[in-house]
Amino acid sequence: MTDQANILPGTLDLLILKAVSLGKLHGYGVLLRIEQISGGALQIQQGALYPALYRLEHKGLIQSEWGTSENNRRAKYYSLTKAGRRQLGEEVASWNSLADAIARALSARPQEG
Amino acid sequence: MLARLRSLLRGLFRRDTVEAEMREEFRHHIELRAADLVREGSSPEEAQRRAHLEFGHAEGHRETARASRGLKRFDDLRFSWLDFKLGFRMLVRYPGLTLMGGVAMAMGIAFGAGLFEFVMQWSRPELPFAGGARLVGIEVRDTETGGVEPRILHDFARWKEDLRSVEELGAFRLAGRNLVTGDGPGEPVLVTEVSASAFRLVGAPPLHGRTLLEDDERANASPVVVIGHDLWQDRFGGRLDAVGTTIRLGGTQATVVGVMPEGFEFPHSQNIWTSLRFDPLEFAPGEGPAIYLFGRLAPGASLELAQAEIETLGFQAAAAYPETHAGLAPRVVPFPELVHMPAPGLFNPEFLFLNLFILALVVLLCANVALLLFARAATRESELVVRSALGAGRRRIVLQLFSEALVLGGVATVVGLMGAKYGYEWFLTAIEGAEGPLPFWFEPRISPTTVLYALGLTVVGAAVAGILPALKVTRGVAASLRESTAGGGGLRFGGVWTLVIVAQVALTMPLPAFTYFALDEMAGVSRLHVDIATENFLTARLELDRDLESIAPTDLFDPNNAFGGSGLESDSAFLARYASNLDELERRLLAEPAVRAVTLVDRLPLTYHPAHQVELDEGAIAPPDERGHRISTARIEPNYFEAFGVPILVGRGFDSEDVISGARVVIVDEPFVDRVLGGRNPIGLRLRYIAIERAPPPGPDAPWYEIVGVVGDLGMENGYGRGGVYHPVARGENYPASLVIHLSSDPTGFSTRLRTLGAEVDPTLRVESLTSLEDIANGEEGIYAWGVSAVVLLTFTALMLSLAGIYAVMSFAVSRRTREIGIRVALGAKPRSLLLAIFRRPLVQVGLGVLAGAYLLGMLSHWMFGGITLGQMLLVAVYALVMAGVCLLACVVPTRRALGVEPVTALRAEG
Repeated sequence: MTDQANILPGTLDLLILKAVSLGKLHGYGVLLRIEQISGGALQIQQGALYPALYRLEHKGLIQSEWGTSENNRRAKYYSLTKAGRRQLGEEVASWNSLADAIARALSARPQEG
Repeated sequence: MLARLRSLLRGLFRRDTVEAEMREEFRHHIELRAADLVREGSSPEEAQRRAHLEFGHAEGHRETARASRGLKRFDDLRFSWLDFKLGFRMLVRYPGLTLMGGVAMAMGIAFGAGLFEFVMQWSRPELPFAGGARLVGIEVRDTETGGVEPRILHDFARWKEDLRSVEELGAFRLAGRNLVTGDGPGEPVLVTEVSASAFRLVGAPPLHGRTLLEDDERANASPVVVIGHDLWQDRFGGRLDAVGTTIRLGGTQATVVGVMPEGFEFPHSQNIWTSLRFDPLEFAPGEGPAIYLFGRLAPGASLELAQAEIETLGFQAAAAYPETHAGLAPRVVPFPELVHMPAPGLFNPEFLFLNLFILALVVLLCANVALLLFARAATRESELVVRSALGAGRRRIVLQLFSEALVLGGVATVVGLMGAKYGYEWFLTAIEGAEGPLPFWFEPRISPTTVLYALGLTVVGAAVAGILPALKVTRGVAASLRESTAGGGGLRFGGVWTLVIVAQVALTMPLPAFTYFALDEMAGVSRLHVDIATENFLTARLELDRDLESIAPTDLFDPNNAFGGSGLESDSAFLARYASNLDELERRLLAEPAVRAVTLVDRLPLTYHPAHQVELDEGAIAPPDERGHRISTARIEPNYFEAFGVPILVGRGFDSEDVISGARVVIVDEPFVDRVLGGRNPIGLRLRYIAIERAPPPGPDAPWYEIVGVVGDLGMENGYGRGGVYHPVARGENYPASLVIHLSSDPTGFSTRLRTLGAEVDPTLRVESLTSLEDIANGEEGIYAWGVSAVVLLTFTALMLSLAGIYAVMSFAVSRRTREIGIRVALGAKPRSLLLAIFRRPLVQVGLGVLAGAYLLGMLSHWMFGGITLGQMLLVAVYALVMAGVCLLACVVPTRRALGVEPVTALRAEG
């Protein structure tokens, strides 16, 4: 893993929700999943992931349960709650509209004034 | 919402589990990452190292995680053991500050706790035996006069049968008797004649022998007494054979049947008991001895229920005996109220005011400690900056400084509570010395409630002393951090501290003045000037045993009784016997070579006299207020002034003719002439009474008295000042009368002789309150001395602290300017202008404080004493100078240091 790419503030929670929505994951798994679905473009500072996970769990957007991981160790697995699914839908929609608006703004030409 | 709450509660109450899970999760993450790195070709050790590095600072993440769970707020409020350890270390490291601050806090707490304990014991007495809270008294009040009607033997007999909600109903009365335990004249004691049920009620087993029994109350039973521990020690030397001995009480022989254990007193502070033997059938309703009733609430009965029941019985009695019972209302009261004046309630203004006063005192003392701690915190700025940089939040640091103050406060509380116990003991002794014995539930102990109260004071004090300076310092720290300097000028003494110093100086200003006032008052009391040479006078109150005293001859109970305060039901036979006893005693006294003169009076000089309001037919000046001219009176025998050896200044003295003819003539004293007549000659003027203390007003037909003479000031004292009127009376008209014997030498040696002569005249004649006039003159001093010492001690502490605080803060403020001074010196500033620049601010602060304080003092003096004396003004001036001196001293030392520093060094210095 190389240095962390800059993630826009506030997007880490969105990425975690997305990653977890694709299936139950433990903390390290969430990290790998984000890297994988972003094609390696997004890297998260590893330790910073956990406060975000706990924050989402504290808000009731994800839930956790203990299970056994690939190396036969006890691990905590995170999954999306109903509230989390709703939140993910809203955030994705608002992210898309924001991205569209920025894209439109950036593609403006001189005569469009 | 629910999820958050659940997560928060889990974080708070299952903290260890949550932390362990977090650690396990991090470990698991690092293991998986290391395994991936090994797969990518790193060596296991290298993989471990990189995985840790990539993961970052685990404690930092944990901290953020706690914050994201909303736990940080609670963590900031957690005291850690380390804070307290640091607090203790600080105590040792700064012994001067510890001593100064600790003593200040301890004094405040000792004073507060002691006062609180007294008020608690007064207003919420805890009787020291099982079921004490259920002990009640029954009193009957005359609805017209508001006084107590104590002649309730009849009602007692009936209520014993009918009353369901109060059990073990008993009665007692107090009777003065001469107690003779061996040879010699004996001494008067206050005997409690009491029902046997009293001993069952309080559940006190005797130390030796037995207590009183119902059988002892039969008319034909032989008289027995039970004695208290102190009496047993004093009179019998604690001998076991005391039980079974015969003693004499007045005219009665009685056998000692029991000794009560140490500390047992009942109903108030008495320690000799005999059976109450009165047959209700011998008396008509509304007659008989003065008795007091007590009992215990029956199981399940409340005070209200008992009150309702007794009211019903009261109505029945009023219907059955309208002549005697029509205006009477019986009441059930908690027992302490029966024998001791009830205290103000816990929520009445006086009590709240007292609490506010205590709180203000503690806050003031702690504000001084705050100044000291602030100066100390300021010197620790670098340490705090480093802690901040390491991630300690502001709240964390404030909490650390608060816990340091708490440690100091805790030590101070332990010391303060010990001080409170001893101080309270001292206070009770002083009160008992001045006012007579207190009821048995006043004990020099500190109750758990008071300990809690003291702890509350400690927390308040520590908050003032710790949190305030901490807030101020941490603000400076934040600034230092922003400026990336450790301890570089972040701390500023802004307006708040100017205000603190000004307030400090202002508030301590009145203290010396009030101390001076207290000392002056004290000196006034001890110097009570009278125109009598007080050395060679012996005084005593003379009383005669009597079976049917209408009121106990003590101030134990409300003197405002059903008889308008006259003290006794008039009984001419009794008074004739009394008068003939006095004649005989006088005859024997005058036969003694040491005795020069004997006289009798109703109230002795220098003791309290009731204040009555008088008017004159002409010549009186306007009274000071709407209460009119309040003056004292004394009823004297014609030879009174002669016996004291004081001359009649104007007009004439009394002679026996005045008494025999019943002429309405009076003699007034000089203070009366000054106060009421503005110094005019009073001879021939007439006066009359328009209000009499503790009695109904005399009305428009009040008789006029002619003033025939003026004497000097013989110490007629009431709450309104000196000044009084003397009325001539015949022997036997005063009961009880006070005897004054003028001796040719020191009076103390004559006491026993007087008792012997009294016993020879009549064994039932009691010589009470035997004391010299000198002791009476000095008697008031005990309680004053206590109050004054307490005030002086507190004032001194507050002053010392205040000065130390001001010194610390000012010298710190100046030392912060070392760099500036160095630069100014380097730039060639003249020392004088430099000094002016440095000293201006502190001097302005102290000056403002002195002005504000003088204004405050002026207002207080005006409000309390109607003006300020020259002595007080001088004292204030001296104090202002001392303040200015301290302030200068505080500035001089650091300034000298700063002036001596090389400019280059100064530039490198902090600040």
